[in-house]
Amino acid sequence: MKPAPPLSLPLRVLWNAFFWTYERTTWQYDLMVIAILAFVWLTPPDWLGDPMATGSGPIGWVVGGRR
Amino acid sequence: MTFTGLIGRLCLYPLQLIIRTCVRLRIHPNVLTFVGVLVNIAAAWALGLGHFVAAGVIMLVANIFDFIDGKVAFELKAVSAFGGFWDSVIDRFSDLALFLGLIYLYATLGRTDYVMVAALAMIFSIMTSYTRARAESLIAKCKVGFMERPERIVLFMIGAFTNRMAGVLWVILVLSVVTVADRIIHTYRELRDDPREAVA
Repeated sequence: MKPAPPLSLPLRVLWNAFFWTYERTTWQYDLMVIAILAFVWLTPPDWLGDPMATGSGPIGWVVGGRR
Repeated sequence: MTFTGLIGRLCLYPLQLIIRTCVRLRIHPNVLTFVGVLVNIAAAWALGLGHFVAAGVIMLVANIFDFIDGKVAFELKAVSAFGGFWDSVIDRFSDLALFLGLIYLYATLGRTDYVMVAALAMIFSIMTSYTRARAESLIAKCKVGFMERPERIVLFMIGAFTNRMAGVLWVILVLSVVTVADRIIHTYRELRDDPREAVA
């Protein structure tokens, strides 16, 4: 395979997150799992228009939304 | 050790007990695979009725069968090409059943927006498996992309147990699209750099 052209650090981080080649049980995998869980649990169901859950959730409480 | 590694290691202890029991009873791994899809259909039924916690519990049981079939096959020295094929095919049915349960639920609630989200997530989840299977008929390995079946199943269970299925569906959809794109890019690069392809 031809070597990829050099990228700046932020672009490389973004590309590596997009073009995922990491195995499970690596720190990169842990970081992705934490980001996903944060999105799922912290995003207010109202923001997503969740048909089965209501409320503003932790982020909503922080930004002062009603529960 | 990473925290996902620690969780995996903790889950392994009860699973090893179940694996040993199945080996002692000499239950054929293909039977375990089939029981897994039947239990997943029950989970889909519970999802369709909006009983998320019950669905989560049933999914947990179903995925014990999914997880142990390969290990039992190895212990019983019953690993076969057909077993691998059977497992892959049955896994797709299990995936489709769970998504169908959610599509039914959102349809009965009149939420066409989430019917679309669930339907697209279902399409890209199946395409995730298809792109890898098709790619590996052309190149040696195509194991790139984050959102594979174990991640999907764990996310489904998290969504069911914590009633955050909408967020979970968005994550599955977006990351499945990215995974399919990763596999197409990887296959293109591998074939582009393959000297045999250049000659052809």
